[in-house]
Amino acid sequence: MFFKNYRTVLFIGVVFLAVLLLLSYNIKYDSAAGLAKKAVLEAATPVQKFFTFCINGVENAWKRYIHLVGLEEENRQLKSKIDALQAELLLYKEGNKEAQRLKGLLALGKELSYPSVAARVIGRQQAALSKTIWIDKGSSDGLKPGFPVIAPAGLIGRLTDVTWHSSKVMLLIDENSNVDVLIQRTRVQGIARGAGSRGCVVKYISKIQDVKEGDTVLTSGMSNLFPKGLQIGKVSYVDRMDVGLFLHIQVVPFADFAKIEEVLVLLPDGQTPSAAGKKER
Amino acid sequence: MIFYFFIPFMAIGVVVFQTVLSDLLFSGWVSIELSLIVVIYAGFRMDLIKGMSLALVMGFVLDSISGTVEGLFTLAYLMIFTMSFFVSLRMVTEKQYLIGLFSLFCCVLESLLVSLVDRLILSRETSADALLILTFQAILTGFLSVGFFYAMRRIENSIYGKALQPSQRPGTSGVSAET
Repeated sequence: MFFKNYRTVLFIGVVFLAVLLLLSYNIKYDSAAGLAKKAVLEAATPVQKFFTFCINGVENAWKRYIHLVGLEEENRQLKSKIDALQAELLLYKEGNKEAQRLKGLLALGKELSYPSVAARVIGRQQAALSKTIWIDKGSSDGLKPGFPVIAPAGLIGRLTDVTWHSSKVMLLIDENSNVDVLIQRTRVQGIARGAGSRGCVVKYISKIQDVKEGDTVLTSGMSNLFPKGLQIGKVSYVDRMDVGLFLHIQVVPFADFAKIEEVLVLLPDGQTPSAAGKKER
Repeated sequence: MIFYFFIPFMAIGVVVFQTVLSDLLFSGWVSIELSLIVVIYAGFRMDLIKGMSLALVMGFVLDSISGTVEGLFTLAYLMIFTMSFFVSLRMVTEKQYLIGLFSLFCCVLESLLVSLVDRLILSRETSADALLILTFQAILTGFLSVGFFYAMRRIENSIYGKALQPSQRPGTSGVSAET
């Protein structure tokens, strides 16, 4: 009867007693790991490994993520650096090309033994009515209307409107342009007139003259406007069947007018650019 | 019967998990007392034999893995289980603040018991910041226990459609913690 009424308390008491005995024994004797403890540790090892594996996986993934975030930032920085360097490279390439062009122009100026003023093309007008370019030098640099303008490829035109600091150049291909020319091979003279997109047309050469496709056309120097011997272009077509006394000769200019960026303006013989400029001012 | 078979594996899983978690989050300085919470849960919700078996095994596993003198945590867990069990006979252990406070108290009790045995019987020195760690550990355990009880309730409801372990002991006139 006693045991039945107090079995819960008795059960708890017995368990407590057993645990206290175990604790006391272990405190007193400090025994090495028993079989039960060994079994627990043995069973816990794979569980510990599993958790460690999981945590390491998560940790690595997190580190990789952080690394990727860093990479993204680095990538962005590198891309912007590449952009900046590409822009710089472009600038250098442009500078190099400009230097090449100016070198050619300088060589041409020396070759011609005429005083000249170098100018930069600041605008173009290739409309139907007029074919002109706009340069950044004007009367303050000693320029005057009528001065011939050349590029490394040869003559490109002459000044028409000159302001203090800029000028308009009427190109060879302008319909109003007339230049005294000669055929280099046969020394036959004529007048090259602008023909727009077709280049130039050389007029007033008799049908009996020897002109062939591929002949080089130069300035003749007869009008005192252009020095003698400046290259103009090549004969591209000769029509002998045309009605009239003269040949119909088409000339393709050496200069590519759409790509000209720097030019030389030739001054009259004996005039230096600085003196001309001072005089004008 | 299957419950008794799984107790050791569950205990090993819980103890190893809490050790790893504590190592990961606090570099081992603060223990995350999941096993203690499980013992309190057993005291509140399970019957005497099942709960006591769980507390015994859990304590023994913790003793074995933590490397303390065998029987120390077993005794502590047994005490806590018994206390929880008798509390659950008197109160309806449903209210969250009651669970939290009781867990906090149990954590303090367990730490005190372990410290006392360490200091008085084993003559080991306790660290200077032990009180600070104990306070933090107790508060953490209080919060975790609330989450654990809530999670268990949700799990039981979703699996069985009702709370498998009732918060009021059948046949007892427990005073509701709600009042």
